[in-house]
Amino acid sequence: MITIKLHAAALALATIPLAFSQTPPPKYDPASVERGRATFASTCGFCHGASAKGGEKGPDLLRSVLVLHDEHGESIGPVILNGRPAKGMPHFALSPAQITDIANFLHASVLSAEDRDNYKILNIVTGDAKAGAAYFAANCQSCHSVTGDLKGIAAKYDPATLQGRFIEPNQSQSEGITVTVTLPSGESFTGVPVNYDDFNVSLRDAKGDYHAFRRTKDTKVELHNRFQAHLDLVLRYSDDDIHNLTAYLVTLK
Amino acid sequence: MKLNLLASALLPLSAWTQMLDPALLTKPATTSWPTYNGDYSGRRYSTLSQINQSNVRHLNLAWIFRAKVGATPNAIIGGVGKPTDEVPSDPGTSTIKATPLMVNGILYFSTPDNAWAIDARSGHELWHYYWKSKGGIHIGNRGMGMYGNWLFFETPDNYLISLDAKTGKERWHLEIADVKQEYFSTSSPIIVGNHVIVGTGGDSLDVPGFLESHDPETGKLQWKWWSEPLKKGDAGSETWPDEYAMRHGGGMTWIPGTYDPEAHLYYVGTGNPNPVLTGKSRLGDNLYTCSIVALNVDTGKLVWHFQPSPHDTHDWDAAQTPVLIDAEIDGKPRKLLGQANRNGYFFLLDRLTGKNVVTAPMIKTMNWSKGIAANGQPIPNSSKEASIPGVLVSPPTGGATNWPPPSYDPDTGYFYVGTSQQFSMFYLTDTDPHPEGWGAAERDAGWFGGDLEAIDIKTGKVVWDHHYPFTGGPVGILTTAGKLLFTGDGSQHLVAFDPANGEILWHAGLADDVSNGPETYTLDGLQYLTVGAGDSLYSFVVEN
Repeated sequence: MITIKLHAAALALATIPLAFSQTPPPKYDPASVERGRATFASTCGFCHGASAKGGEKGPDLLRSVLVLHDEHGESIGPVILNGRPAKGMPHFALSPAQITDIANFLHASVLSAEDRDNYKILNIVTGDAKAGAAYFAANCQSCHSVTGDLKGIAAKYDPATLQGRFIEPNQSQSEGITVTVTLPSGESFTGVPVNYDDFNVSLRDAKGDYHAFRRTKDTKVELHNRFQAHLDLVLRYSDDDIHNLTAYLVTLK
Repeated sequence: MKLNLLASALLPLSAWTQMLDPALLTKPATTSWPTYNGDYSGRRYSTLSQINQSNVRHLNLAWIFRAKVGATPNAIIGGVGKPTDEVPSDPGTSTIKATPLMVNGILYFSTPDNAWAIDARSGHELWHYYWKSKGGIHIGNRGMGMYGNWLFFETPDNYLISLDAKTGKERWHLEIADVKQEYFSTSSPIIVGNHVIVGTGGDSLDVPGFLESHDPETGKLQWKWWSEPLKKGDAGSETWPDEYAMRHGGGMTWIPGTYDPEAHLYYVGTGNPNPVLTGKSRLGDNLYTCSIVALNVDTGKLVWHFQPSPHDTHDWDAAQTPVLIDAEIDGKPRKLLGQANRNGYFFLLDRLTGKNVVTAPMIKTMNWSKGIAANGQPIPNSSKEASIPGVLVSPPTGGATNWPPPSYDPDTGYFYVGTSQQFSMFYLTDTDPHPEGWGAAERDAGWFGGDLEAIDIKTGKVVWDHHYPFTGGPVGILTTAGKLLFTGDGSQHLVAFDPANGEILWHAGLADDVSNGPETYTLDGLQYLTVGAGDSLYSFVVEN
């Protein structure tokens, strides 16, 4: 395993890694959240909006300090049961279970607003498939074939993943990279880099053997990226190119 | 445990006279490092030259200190959270991002919830303080501030804590922001006169940012500056559609600022507006988010502002250190301020007026701006704001650079910064007319490596750069009168470069990547170079 890291996320000020391989179990019981959503919409939505983000009369409850401090309905409950007559909010005789459901709905809604790692990408297939086919013919066809390596590709990936795969096919910075080290004697080693920096380079060759070198001015070190053509395209794509190419590739079921 | 006590008992009495001389704060430090950036300028340039180009190859390790976080056997325990026996697993808690203070032979530094005093000569721990947390994102902590014998640091659950430097015992703590509203604090307090200046962070929900000043003795609030107008008619309110948007508009004060004692101005950069990645509910420039601001240090009143990213929709905080530079422009001596901004541009401003002198791109991949306006502000291209089918943008949210401290070297006239060249796709996910939180998703879309760059402040041109195909990016930097530049390479090395041309002069392998800004000072006439990498501090000297 190469030691090269996706360092940008590690160093970023408020950046949390962008993708997680697994989704943790929901913090709030989904059935309760759905019951709460329905009860909220019918009982509270008229003033606060069905999404609880505020309406004509009632404030946005997802930004309510009282809601944010509530854990399980202990603060939300009394407001529902007693109302806020001074502010024109009537009271509602809901059961403890209904209050718990509403609290869970509100807390789950707050969580889904703040938890950007789990935002759902919407329908990204908006481009012109015909223009995408032309783009493919001009830019991708020298390496790929829709009847060969890409046959049925759209059946394997959802559109967002498919788009991600053609923009950046490597799943880590090291994937697809090989390094060739040529010593002053002319002897040459090629393999997957294990370490690469200004002072040392090491690699694992096709046989699985590990080779390490101290870098000197007489030692030639060359990197090759199997995905270089994809990287070059990133500098040339218009957003329309990306949308069109996506629209075309999703037809390759 | 016994050994530590013994070590403390053996220290000469003079070592306990830790009173910080306030005069140290107004001149470049040599025998101390009394504040986050070493001095108020933020240059991170030391006038020391004992370690220099002729002897740097003899730089040797003096000691390593490994910071063990949590309720360690000797820890002084404070805090309002639930007691826990668990050692925090979040790497943010144990990574040293602080620049330790060094005062009278003692180093003081913090990580989220933890603070230490260690002997700068030996690396021996004198005390460790641990704060039981109520929560908050434990991503990093920039370190401590010091006033006399009192130390100050901030926690992820937004407490400002004052410790007695001698004992590590808590003097008081007070809450500066509400963790339930997703505020979390990372900044290092900066002490100016009798002001303890603290900022906060947090942009998961839509809350307003602020900077505030506290009395060092009592903790009493002296002033509070909100980074947005609070009501219609306030200065800057014309850049927001309504009061609701501005009161939920972000603008966090993530990183310590700088101070010009003559101008009596405190300079700080503010973070992104909220909601973060979509601007439809906050049309306008959204002042004073993504801005460099100059505040009167006694009142917190805004004197001028410059906004590097008007109406930001990509999380490009302008929080990076505003570095104070005195230099000649067109033959005239000028008081300047330089910032290498997360949005990909380098800015040089007049620090007395806020007027722009230079705006220049730092990275080649940047694609979000339509050019530079007459006032030096980049002009955002609105078609690069997140859309449902996605837009390809460089830099990504992490930026061309980030919080790690840059350096300005007056000997070369160059500004040094670590950058990365990268793209992301931005997908609008919240189509509500009033989106909340971030409002869009981001996916990596192409990495073009990192660079250590030397920027000529007068032209903004990159004079030299050192390219890293896989690593590099934002990393802390120190320059010295020994004609040396110290930084990390992202491959677990501390490296010394020639600041004039980027030639590598020395390196040492560490157990982790450099994670803070390197610092230097003399002790007993010997110059030390100290750097944090992961959970450890490393200190180097040239022995005669």
